[in-house]
Amino acid sequence: MLSLLIFIPLIGSLGVVLLPASMKSRYKWITLICCSLELLLCGAAYSAFDPTQSGYQLLERADWITLPLGSLGVVSIDYLVGVDGISLPLVLLSGVVMLVGAVSSWKIDARQKAYHALYLLLTSTVIGCFVALDFFLFFLFFEFMLLPMYFLIGLWGGPRREYASIKFFLYTLAGSVLILLVMIGLYLSVMDPVETALRVGLIQDRSEATDEVIRQVQFLLSEYKIPSNLLVHTFDLRHMAKGGNYLPDSFLSVAGEVMLMGIPSRLLAFLCVFLGFAVKLPVVPLHTWLPDAHVEAPTPVSVVLAGVLLKIGGYGFLRIGWGLFPDGAAEYALLLAGLGVLSIVYGGFNALAQVDLKKMIAYSSVSHMGFVLLGIASLTSEGINGAVYQMASHGVLSAMLFLITGVIYDRTHDRRIDHYRGLAGAMPGYTALTAIAFFASLGLPGFSGFIGELFTLMGSFQSIWLPGWMTAVATLGIILAAAYFLWTLQRMFFGTLWFRPEAAGQLTDLDGRERLMLVPLAVLALLLGIFPNLLFDLTNSTVADWIQRFSIE
Amino acid sequence: MLPIILLSVFGIVLLFLGFLKTRAVLLPAALLFILIALGAGFLEWNKSYLYFGDMLLINNLAILFSTIVLISAFMVVALSGDFLEDEMAQPAEYYAILLFSIVGAMMMIGYENLIMLFVGVEILSVSMYILTGSDKRNLRSNEAALKYFLMGSFATGFMLFGMALLYGAVGSFTLTDIKSYILLSHGRPSLLLYMGELLVLIGMLFKVSAAPFHFWTPDVYEGAPTLFTAFMSTVVKTAGFAALLQLLSVSFSAIYGFWWVILAAITALTLLAGNLTAVYQNSFKRMMAYSSISHAGYLLIGLAALGQQSRSALVFYSLAYSLATISAFGILLLVAKQHTTDGRPDESYSAFNGLSRNNPLLAFVLAVSMLSLAGIPLTAGFWGKFMLFSAAVDRGMVWILILAVLMSAVGIYYYFRVVIAMYFREGQAGRIRVAPFYQFILIAATALTIILGIVPGLFQNIM
Amino acid sequence: MNTTYLPSDYLPIFIQLVLALGFIVGSMIVSHNIGPKRHSEKKDDPFECGIPVKGDARTPISIKYFLIAILFVLFDVEVIFLYPWAVNFKGLGMEGFIEMILFMGLLLAGFYYILRKGVLKWE
Repeated sequence: MLSLLIFIPLIGSLGVVLLPASMKSRYKWITLICCSLELLLCGAAYSAFDPTQSGYQLLERADWITLPLGSLGVVSIDYLVGVDGISLPLVLLSGVVMLVGAVSSWKIDARQKAYHALYLLLTSTVIGCFVALDFFLFFLFFEFMLLPMYFLIGLWGGPRREYASIKFFLYTLAGSVLILLVMIGLYLSVMDPVETALRVGLIQDRSEATDEVIRQVQFLLSEYKIPSNLLVHTFDLRHMAKGGNYLPDSFLSVAGEVMLMGIPSRLLAFLCVFLGFAVKLPVVPLHTWLPDAHVEAPTPVSVVLAGVLLKIGGYGFLRIGWGLFPDGAAEYALLLAGLGVLSIVYGGFNALAQVDLKKMIAYSSVSHMGFVLLGIASLTSEGINGAVYQMASHGVLSAMLFLITGVIYDRTHDRRIDHYRGLAGAMPGYTALTAIAFFASLGLPGFSGFIGELFTLMGSFQSIWLPGWMTAVATLGIILAAAYFLWTLQRMFFGTLWFRPEAAGQLTDLDGRERLMLVPLAVLALLLGIFPNLLFDLTNSTVADWIQRFSIE
Repeated sequence: MLPIILLSVFGIVLLFLGFLKTRAVLLPAALLFILIALGAGFLEWNKSYLYFGDMLLINNLAILFSTIVLISAFMVVALSGDFLEDEMAQPAEYYAILLFSIVGAMMMIGYENLIMLFVGVEILSVSMYILTGSDKRNLRSNEAALKYFLMGSFATGFMLFGMALLYGAVGSFTLTDIKSYILLSHGRPSLLLYMGELLVLIGMLFKVSAAPFHFWTPDVYEGAPTLFTAFMSTVVKTAGFAALLQLLSVSFSAIYGFWWVILAAITALTLLAGNLTAVYQNSFKRMMAYSSISHAGYLLIGLAALGQQSRSALVFYSLAYSLATISAFGILLLVAKQHTTDGRPDESYSAFNGLSRNNPLLAFVLAVSMLSLAGIPLTAGFWGKFMLFSAAVDRGMVWILILAVLMSAVGIYYYFRVVIAMYFREGQAGRIRVAPFYQFILIAATALTIILGIVPGLFQNIM
Repeated sequence: MNTTYLPSDYLPIFIQLVLALGFIVGSMIVSHNIGPKRHSEKKDDPFECGIPVKGDARTPISIKYFLIAILFVLFDVEVIFLYPWAVNFKGLGMEGFIEMILFMGLLLAGFYYILRKGVLKWE
């Protein structure tokens, strides 16, 4: 089922490429159908998922690459996908946001073939990123996501698109090469107990691998009893997350005795991974690509960028950073939470100062994603649940916000806040939905934003790693959000109607397509806000199981 | 061994074929000869023989490197249709020299005796000097040839002096003798040995254009006819690294502690010099010259971190790099012909503006080769880097790695400039007519790059 | 033959090196210091005497001279290989004879190539 999620858009993308140009009008239909199928499949995955279990579910596995490395043993890369309580909400979110983006892509006129092919490719890689359980596969999707994104911004973007697209690409890539480094270090340090048992001859078939056998292999490993050429190195994240599978004396062994530049190598590796994903989240001061990319990107791309791509940063923190290096996460909790608070406050103040509506929303994203980092860094159940929740909620709300920006931009090609006043008179439906999106984003109780922020703040307040004043500073972010959203609302929508003469006659209210995108998102935000258990039920048991590895210290 | 003899004879045959009235026969003949040599090479697969009085060792590694060299040569020759149209060109001589230079390259790949290395280097270098200057009416080509010749002779001098010193220390030119001398010296080999090794290294590093011996590269690569630049940047580099690998892994692995620091420093310098200077280039061809320097840097990582993995990593990387480089130069040849300023082909980035519009295939081929050179996953270049980096991690060379990783991010910037030009900029490029065979070669190289990117095991299992 | 040398065995060479370098450096310094110097505007001018230059000093010489010269050297050198073969003719036997035939054949092929290329045609 999860493979279908990855491959349907890929096939759709190929289909768009192969269809002759005479069938131009079909491209958007293919995109729409693929994305609708995706959402249906997401729903099916949701119903097949058992939220009471904490492990990975819906696993699908196929051998992909096996490279012999001589005396270093064998490296095996698998096609391995599956979801747990952390990734499933994000998969669902991607399904929703990608569909909304597909509807929003309706308006794209230039080079439709390339656009829709790239959009579907992006969909495939985004979903792939969330479901991949093999580090290599994850990295592949993570890296490959950049290419369609790069072209989507660079080809259909605004006037400074070349600068914005290459900046986006270089920032993210600089981060991902750090992840690549850690990935290489990890696979050299980790073995696959089942495959190794097969090669050593303890078992004859994969199905015989019981916990007993695995413990035996791990014991042999720790006693240096397995010759190195029989070791099967792996990228499997499940094996990487278990300390017993690390080779003793290896580069990243759990004992952590290897030092590099005066720091234990595991901590260094954690920092590398953190930096890599921090670019994506983004964490101040690595966020500068985000406003540029958002301002230049066309509306649907902005929607996807804010709605889904940023979440991959947060997901990467959880799955790779915190999941594989809990020691590093505990060591640097204070620093990381500090960066989170910095992002919240810095993003908030910047948003306050913007005159471009889209840039304002971009900075509000920086601020809201800061809560995610704060929640994760708190290492508490509330914090991490809240962080996942906040990601989902922000995905829905930021998609809405960017669509709202797109609505006004489509009409007048002007996004400056001070070029409009009193829009409520001319566009009442638009104003209503904007107000909902703004209020939901600023954390009004009853909407999803409130729950996410509340739980991350609760988590950080309870955390034994973080001082209380940090939470206090972070709450400033909510006040700032209220300030910039309400102020914008007041400036643009209230008062007497005024706009620049060029915009005369263009300020029509929402059409059916726009309503179709915005209303469901608004309903979703409300639904999540009123019934937070919809999501918490999914995440809770996974997070509870997951948090245990931090409670040892 | 058989390919070496065959290619020498074929070279002479080609010279005489040049006297025929029709030039059309030359290109297929040259291609056929290379294919025969390729096939003949695999006759010796899985056998390890010493030839010419223990001067030449042909084993699987040597055959693999030779195969890469032959594939590169095949592609270069296949892209050389233009010669047959140019009145002033002398295709028979070019092809003959190309075949001779492959002989030199194969000697460098399989040498067991330093004399053989020297002969191979000389054959390859002298051929390259001639081909660099083969565009006789172009002043830059002349300048490049002279520069290359002067600097190259210097480097050869260094290398010869180094070999003499090695002989002074060991009393033999054979690689295994050098090894046993070091092993018998109880960790205190003569100073002459160290000096000799360094000088030979300097000579070889010059040939593969590692910093700080890289200053000739941009001028020579830019001045030489594009096709020969493609040949130079792939065949010479592959052969050079094969020779270095042979020298370091067979003879000097026992004094790894001595040379790895030097090599690591040179690696760092090469990566910095190549990548940072490439950023500032406005000519695509010159950028490719600096990019070849930077790839020499990546390949050097494999040598500095000499170990089990180095061999396969170097072979794989050479192959990936050769495929991508030749197809990039192949596209450049086509594109540069379209825009001429003052009768010279335009080789700047702007020549590529808007290429994707009317020539989507060419743009795609170039884009894939740029991605491969930049090391983006699902291309062969990624796996090359991945294997080299693994070798380095295994040796714990983290500093070099971090530098290499940062530099590969820098690489993205300049490789993507041409992608930007092709896809994002508007240009007036019309449809470029491409001969079917030319097109086939480009597609094949691109397909191979992608296939190796998706299933690298395919190749790895051969080794 | 004595194959081990002590550093002291190289002393004569070292002395000669010092003497040779010393003579050059010494004579340069001495001549610079004891020679009389008279400066004047004309004397310090790089072109203090002679007639104005006419034409280029490097007049082109026909490439044919170079070709003939280099071909002469080439074949002359290759002929040298005949001498050791002739001296060891009996010892090398049939195998040596075949190898020499091959060598001469290649040489002749080269010669034929030159002729066909018209290198030796003077007009």
